[in-house]
Amino acid sequence: MRELARALVGVVTASAEAGALDLLLVPGRALACRVADDELLLLSAPPVTDEVAREVATRLAALDPDALVIDTTDGWAAISMVGDDARASFGLLSRLELPDAGLLQGEVAHVPAKVVAGDGRVLILVPSIWEAHLHDRAAKALGHTGPLEARPWAVSTS
Amino acid sequence: MGDALRFEGRRVAVEPGDTVASALYRAGVRTFTRSLKYHRRRGLFCMTGDCPNCSLNVDGDPGVRACSTDARDGQVVLRESGWPSAEHDLLHVADRLHRFLPVGFYSKTFIRPRFAWGLAERVIRRATGVGRLPAGRPAGAKPARAVHVDLLVVGGGVAGLAAAAEAAAAGSRVMLVDERRLGATVWDTRAIARIEALAREATAAGARILERHTAVGVYEGPFVPVVGPDEVLHIEAARVIAATGAVEAHAVFPGNDLPGVFLSRGAALLGVRHGVRPGRRAVVVATTDEGRASAEALRTTGAEVLIHDGPVIAAEGSGRVRAVIIETPSGRERITCDTLVLSLGWAPRDALLRMGTDQEVAGAGEVVIPGCSVEEAEASGRRAANGRTETSSEVPTVPVAGDGYVCLCEDVSLHDLEQAWDEGWRSSEILKRYTTATMGPCQGAVCGRLLAAFAGARADAVATAGARTTARPPARPLPLEDLAAGVDESIEQRTSLHDRHLDLGARMERSGSWSRPTTFGDIEQEIGAVRHRAGLLDVGTLGKFLVAGRDAAELMDRVFPVRVRDLAPGRSRYLVALDEAGYVIDDGLLAALDSGRFYLCSTSGGAPAMEAWLRDWIDRWNLHVHLLDQTAQLGAILLAGPSARTILERLTDDEVSAEALAHTRHAEITVADVPCRALRVGFVGEVGFELHHERSRGPALYDALLEAGRPEAAQPFGLGGLDTLRLEKGHLYLGQDTLPDDHPAKLGLDWAVAMEKPGFVGKAALERMRALPLERTLVGLRIEGEPRRGVPLLAGGRVVGRVTSCALSEAAGGTIALGWIRATDGSFPNELFAGESSATVVPTPFYDPEGARLRA
Repeated sequence: MRELARALVGVVTASAEAGALDLLLVPGRALACRVADDELLLLSAPPVTDEVAREVATRLAALDPDALVIDTTDGWAAISMVGDDARASFGLLSRLELPDAGLLQGEVAHVPAKVVAGDGRVLILVPSIWEAHLHDRAAKALGHTGPLEARPWAVSTS
Repeated sequence: MGDALRFEGRRVAVEPGDTVASALYRAGVRTFTRSLKYHRRRGLFCMTGDCPNCSLNVDGDPGVRACSTDARDGQVVLRESGWPSAEHDLLHVADRLHRFLPVGFYSKTFIRPRFAWGLAERVIRRATGVGRLPAGRPAGAKPARAVHVDLLVVGGGVAGLAAAAEAAAAGSRVMLVDERRLGATVWDTRAIARIEALAREATAAGARILERHTAVGVYEGPFVPVVGPDEVLHIEAARVIAATGAVEAHAVFPGNDLPGVFLSRGAALLGVRHGVRPGRRAVVVATTDEGRASAEALRTTGAEVLIHDGPVIAAEGSGRVRAVIIETPSGRERITCDTLVLSLGWAPRDALLRMGTDQEVAGAGEVVIPGCSVEEAEASGRRAANGRTETSSEVPTVPVAGDGYVCLCEDVSLHDLEQAWDEGWRSSEILKRYTTATMGPCQGAVCGRLLAAFAGARADAVATAGARTTARPPARPLPLEDLAAGVDESIEQRTSLHDRHLDLGARMERSGSWSRPTTFGDIEQEIGAVRHRAGLLDVGTLGKFLVAGRDAAELMDRVFPVRVRDLAPGRSRYLVALDEAGYVIDDGLLAALDSGRFYLCSTSGGAPAMEAWLRDWIDRWNLHVHLLDQTAQLGAILLAGPSARTILERLTDDEVSAEALAHTRHAEITVADVPCRALRVGFVGEVGFELHHERSRGPALYDALLEAGRPEAAQPFGLGGLDTLRLEKGHLYLGQDTLPDDHPAKLGLDWAVAMEKPGFVGKAALERMRALPLERTLVGLRIEGEPRRGVPLLAGGRVVGRVTSCALSEAAGGTIALGWIRATDGSFPNELFAGESSATVVPTPFYDPEGARLRA
């Protein structure tokens, strides 16, 4: 594996009517992950998370006045795996079948997780109450010693 | 000097391609193990890893099949059974004591007096010689890796490889696993050549072939755990083809377990593959073409071979075969020999196939067409790959009559089965449980069909008596540590203050799935700090939900019995959550926010259930509500005590006076530059501010509060102190002080239920229950004696309840408790005994009953 790191990623949660989320124009700096009919996670680089939240709140208010748009970055802990064997390594952490690209939800390291695959990268997010567990489990499974380095995450432009 | 292993201290040469079994046999070893119960000698029998006869200790690992383990230079091999040794075993005397060790003897003997079994169990365990687990080796060392394939083929014989090649050529993602090296259990050179060719074809087509990988079961999915030398694979396959072959049928006759009795494949493998002659003079009893062919192969090893196709009456010998009695057209004939080779039919290795019933699991090759030719096996494999299901051929059963051992693993003879049948155990399933036949390491691979045939052939058997016993994982023996591969010993939830707690010397404990501090040193001191100065408690574990949307108020109003309509923004209210039966399932706090939103706090352990509960009602009532679980996102710190406000005022410019932020109010304030939602709460009975904040800001806020509280000697406290503090206020812990069928009245929580509301979940049930007398209630108690939680409460010598929480309280001046009691003769007793201490029912709270302190 070329890189196993703690991913610094901003997360905005948008909770709204399914129809409103269908019509939402997602800012280019964010990656939209539809985790439920009425819920969207927007991943972005931390410096632009505030902007993303504001933009989405404005756009969504026009579609669903009751929509909830909250910066939930603190609610998530993330790791990223990069490299040719990132996909195979994922099998050491989860029984989920990784798609070629896109969002996957289910158990990783025995805790509920959101997984984003694509461009040779695998990003795993779990609720931050399991941050230490995710780091320990990933490091152990992938033979990584020492603390994980923090790396900013951003939407791929490739 | 060539390669050699060490066998019980002596050097045994190892030839290329040897297994541990073949190397030892070449060196003259004939007794490989002693049987479990009667300590009969057991020698090589199947050579394919199916029977238990060659289980040895290899490099410290017990129960290793010598016939399936490649021999290596420097290996250390020991026999595990027999005392003082397997060769000269004094425990063999058990073979003369059958009368005293009848079938199921452990259910009949040593059971009285009671202590005798504990003693006998240890002795029996030692006497069986089944090996000891190695000490001091870390378990679960192997990683577990999930793999997803379109087709998993189990078994790398002709059928399996043909299936893998065919499916891979069609574009499927194919994985093939085999417990041995490909072809290792095949002696026929034509078959070996075909296996090699098919392996090349399958690999070229893209199939992944894993040798020395054992499939141990089929679970729903199909999901197949596969144990390899360095890892455990958790394979999720769209389809599974079991091409696991067949073992030759085990026959029952007196002496059938003597060393020197071989299945024909075993003898041929030993002679042809390993160049070790099984014996000088062999009688081959064969009813199959393969058996006759193996006889010819044995001749090439220099053995004298006599072929018969009649039934075997008995094998004679003491310690090994010396003669065989067979039935011939002219009568019984006794033939002197040192080896008896049997090829009397087949027992398909169908355990995986039977575990996969009703799933996408198909059979191919010998497992469905026992005794098939190489060509038939290949065609069967290709058919299975193309989705054509092979119907299992009928397998003729070897007659079960006379005497002899049915189950080699557990030493169960035909006589034992007959005795068990006569005792009333009259089906294969209960015979299995009573006699333990099929419950040994082979898991019925050798004896399963014989047991079923025995039960089915009884004249007084019911129709289902002879059914095969249920196939369950593991299909093959595996080390316990492989079962633990990839398992996390402990998954704990942590708040953002976890490391701070450790820095401060906290003793942590598991509270549900959370790791929380019990104390930071002295619980009494921590209680004193809260009562007299100020204390800090990490309550980030609480469930925290944001409820929004135009129907948010309606949802809260209809789900909870609390009054919601008059809850103005900035106010909060204690709530209990009821299920439809009116039973209390959780409690918490509901805070009204601006814009019709609510902030809901539940108990720490109740958050996941609360979210599911609310979402269920939102869906059921089709409400326009957005629910966001903020439990992980937000931390929370309780600052409580008479000095709490003073400390808080040092860190905020916002108004937090008793007037501006009164008890049960809340406000958005900034504390030490950290935006907080401050909730005035009173769980510990003092002025309290629960500061909810973004998780990442938790450590900074905690440090600032501790620093600001230094003049007052504010200190952190943990669950140990909290337990007493909340008990002094008479507050209950859900789960600890409650039972699953407690409704609010039983808990003295009627005040939290607004029965005047038109409707809420559980209201109808509460109305019905109100008409019934209260048969049980939770009460406060003062106890004359030591606090002891869990002790029974007695009235008039009868147990009427139980102490659920208890503490020695300085503030309350003695031992106080909560406990539930039953009504006796229509009323609740006031004078009780808590165990041997007298106890009196008293009103709660025990401390500051007017609540003046928390409202200050």
